[in-house]
Amino acid sequence: MRVGIIGVGCSKFGRRDDVTIQELSYEAVKEALDDAGLSRNDVDISVVGSVNTRGYELMPAVPVNEYCGFAGKGPIRVEAACATGAAAVYTAYTSIASKMADVAIAIGVEKMTEVDTATSLAIGGRGGNYLWEFHQYGTTFPAYYAMHASAHMAKYGTTEEQLAKVAVKAHRNAAKNPKAHFRKEISVEDVLNSRYITYPLKLYDCSPISDGSSAAILASEEKIRELGIDDVVWIESVGYASDTSNMTRRESFVGLKATVLAREMAYRRAGIEGPIKEFDIATVHDCFTIAEIMAYEDLGFCRKGEGGRLIESGETDLGGKIPVNTFGGLKAKGHPLAATGVAMVYEIVKQLRGEARELQVDLKNYRGLLHNVGGTGHFAYVMVLRR
Amino acid sequence: MFIESRELLMKHKIPVVKTERYWKGLEEGKVYKTVCKNCGEEYYPPIAECLCGGEVEWVEIEGEGVVEAFTTVHTIPAGFEWYGKPYTIAIARFGNVRVMGWAENVKVGDRLRLKTGKDKTGVWKVYFEVV
Ligand SMILES: [Zn+2]
Repeated sequence: MRVGIIGVGCSKFGRRDDVTIQELSYEAVKEALDDAGLSRNDVDISVVGSVNTRGYELMPAVPVNEYCGFAGKGPIRVEAACATGAAAVYTAYTSIASKMADVAIAIGVEKMTEVDTATSLAIGGRGGNYLWEFHQYGTTFPAYYAMHASAHMAKYGTTEEQLAKVAVKAHRNAAKNPKAHFRKEISVEDVLNSRYITYPLKLYDCSPISDGSSAAILASEEKIRELGIDDVVWIESVGYASDTSNMTRRESFVGLKATVLAREMAYRRAGIEGPIKEFDIATVHDCFTIAEIMAYEDLGFCRKGEGGRLIESGETDLGGKIPVNTFGGLKAKGHPLAATGVAMVYEIVKQLRGEARELQVDLKNYRGLLHNVGGTGHFAYVMVLRR
Repeated sequence: MFIESRELLMKHKIPVVKTERYWKGLEEGKVYKTVCKNCGEEYYPPIAECLCGGEVEWVEIEGEGVVEAFTTVHTIPAGFEWYGKPYTIAIARFGNVRVMGWAENVKVGDRLRLKTGKDKTGVWKVYFEVV
């Protein structure tokens, strides 16, 4: 049973003091329904992906579901830290593949700016194993990735300049994306001169604390035919994996094993052998600049240790062999946790349909790659989408 | 326009009955791992039951470790304001296990020894000393 994506929506990311979490959700849901040409009554089940440990609405699924007009249909609430969006899409996918629904909507939504930064860091720092990490040592979410950066730099000679280039690329793309949190281009010097958040990561190495929502409507092939929709982006394969909650139980800090395992599953199922040649676009999980470097390696774009040189080569820029994070990535578009994975679907669908305007990639294979990580490799999803 | 939410404070009571040996050990200057007598699996943080069903024993981690990763946290999370300055977290390998701790002036590859200590908030933890 093939499952296709027939509608996508995404809100403006950033500090959204103008909306509650449910009002924010509806921005993406409305766009997705309009995009699919469906009414809310056509949807069988809703999946609400939201971490929302920073919001005042601790159990947001029902308020979100009601506001979006789906009361009576679901919701299934999904949480997989920063991979919540992909987990929501996966849940919608399986509900259709198992024939429990014909049409499902995956909503990813996050309000992160309702608390102050110190509180936000204390919550993100709990994204491992609280008692053995945050409680004793004050790990923050940036700190987990910074530790990986220190290991990668020591082992492979990756430099802070190479990390900076990931941020420069992200901002360059986000400047052309009206929905991005940051719309300003930056230079390598700007990144290198910014203050340390957690050595070796500096302010501009880090994704911002953002609010945002995104939505994707999925349907069975049968239903898609019945609706007479002929422009569909299919979910060709999905890979998923996880890793230990404790950083001290990891075998290495120069990559994410969960990404490698999820990639192997997704590539095997879709028959992918040479990702650079076979994908026209990739969205990779770049919550911090080092995360994009490790993703290049763990997804097989280059050998382990060569990620720094790949960003320098320009081959992941728009116009390169494999454009990565064309809408600005988590780094500059923003990273409202649960909205991120569904926004990756939004980006790939827009690109594969040729609707990405100034940010449009060249289409040869009509295939896109999605990579969404939760925590520091605690969860990983890899999806292959094809038009 | 905003409405301020009612304040919600959470402070949890965390059961450490099964790992009491570890927490008591910190107060005696010892850092324990557990080792399964049946399959040999070593656990750090220690757990009291091996997934194989075997019985575990508590073994002190001794000797020198090697730093595999570290970071110095400059933007401090809520709960650590009391420290008043940046702190460095390192992960070091001691034989078959890796240990997290606070350190000063470390880099990847440095050799370390373990010690334990109580911070200003009364929390016991591992501190590394560069050899
Ligand atoms: Zn055992």
